[in-house]
Amino acid sequence: MALNWKTLFPYEIFEPNWRFWSFVGILVVGFWALLSFPVAEYAGYIDPFYSPTILIVPLPGLFRLTCYAYRKDYHRHLFKHPLGCSNAERGDSSKRHYTGERNGLFQLENLHRYFLYAGIALLPFFYYDFYHSLVFSGVFELRVGSLVLLANALLLTAWTGSCHAFRHLTGGNIDCYSCVAAGGARKAFYERQSWLNRHHETLAWASLLTIFFADLYIRGLAAGLPLDLTLVRL
Amino acid sequence: METHASAQPDQRKTIRLRILRGTGERTSSPHYDTFEVPREEGMVVLNAVHYIQSHLDPSLSIRWNCKAGRCGSCSAEINGRPQLMCKTRVDSIEGEITIEPMQAFPRLKDLVTDVTANWKVAATIPPFTPKANAGDIYTFYQADVDRSREFRRCIECFLCMDVCHVIREHEADYMGPRWVVKAASLDMHPMDGLNRSKFMKDAGGLGYCNITKCCQEICPEHIVITDDAIIPEKERVVDRHYDPILWVYRRLKGGATAGETK
Repeated sequence: MALNWKTLFPYEIFEPNWRFWSFVGILVVGFWALLSFPVAEYAGYIDPFYSPTILIVPLPGLFRLTCYAYRKDYHRHLFKHPLGCSNAERGDSSKRHYTGERNGLFQLENLHRYFLYAGIALLPFFYYDFYHSLVFSGVFELRVGSLVLLANALLLTAWTGSCHAFRHLTGGNIDCYSCVAAGGARKAFYERQSWLNRHHETLAWASLLTIFFADLYIRGLAAGLPLDLTLVRL
Repeated sequence: METHASAQPDQRKTIRLRILRGTGERTSSPHYDTFEVPREEGMVVLNAVHYIQSHLDPSLSIRWNCKAGRCGSCSAEINGRPQLMCKTRVDSIEGEITIEPMQAFPRLKDLVTDVTANWKVAATIPPFTPKANAGDIYTFYQADVDRSREFRRCIECFLCMDVCHVIREHEADYMGPRWVVKAASLDMHPMDGLNRSKFMKDAGGLGYCNITKCCQEICPEHIVITDDAIIPEKERVVDRHYDPILWVYRRLKGGATAGETK
């Protein structure tokens, strides 16, 4: 039987409710730390929030806010429309006003693809940070922190690549693959991307966690914790 | 509440079923009957309900046809969760089993509901309209209809409509998951030439869906309703009605800005 990697973790952390409130907790603690003790760079590690500049944080923030995975979580666990699917846990009520995603700020969700474009544009910076951490001292040096930055870059790429808007724009909007140029390759890409898309919710959560973990790790180093090991030095 | 004893007392373990009875609108004090049914190996909830009909209470009304998960008739709420009675094994449920009719639809009698409203929505969906160059004989490849075919698995059990909080709790003009799936099966067909995004946005009320994925969770045919039908349809609406760059592109190209052809 194939190993289900999810069994390696406590079941609860994949529960939507836990996931949503962990987002909120991480965001509050993370931003508090960001404002209280800014650490933009330490020992060649560029903090993910400062990559390339902290001024653009609202863009990935809006990318997450309008993400279909996060929408499910906050519509369920913040607005309770509905809280769950069974009678015992629905929590929605006909007495409460509901307009879905049609009115007010919720219409911003229709612009998710523009925040996706911003997200894609930012991805190379995270790989640059990894590269920078390898060579900043003048020699090639692979340290644990570099692997943290690499994991962060890879998970952000996987989350961005599994986006529903990306899925639509890269193949979902084609109804007849044999009618368009390179249809076979585009369908193959669409199918692989669809596989990744099935894991979008988990990737949304995991990629947020790695950003804050990378941030915490760099803060830990700056605070003098002996966390960093050099693995390879050439 | 009445409790019916089995006509032939059985020494084997039994299961206890609690079934909502009555006709028309639910009252504030709904009436449940409780039955004891002998447990058998591999038994599904529908078997237990059939046992009640044939041995304990022939007046119990249910709708069913195939008993094989193909006809979509025996939809009900089993312990509060919309499910097909014929695909829910009794050994998957601990303790008493409560069966209620689908609450999103008017009740006729006991577990039978009136799903006529669905056919009215179905009639409003712009039908399959062949592309201008489709010819008299349609020629297309299997690979091109794969996506559309996923939605053809729908057995119209209407569990997705029942679980949808927009349909169930709010009187919104939303067509519901089953009908978004239907529209998606037409939109994604390689020979279809119609763009239904204006219909989906306005008459279909697609914006009411807040993609909380209950429909996808409970679909007995495992159609990935939200990810494969609703979200792609939402993205198609964005293409035509919200994306400023695509709007400018269509203007420059000289085509219709929100026309009904693809």
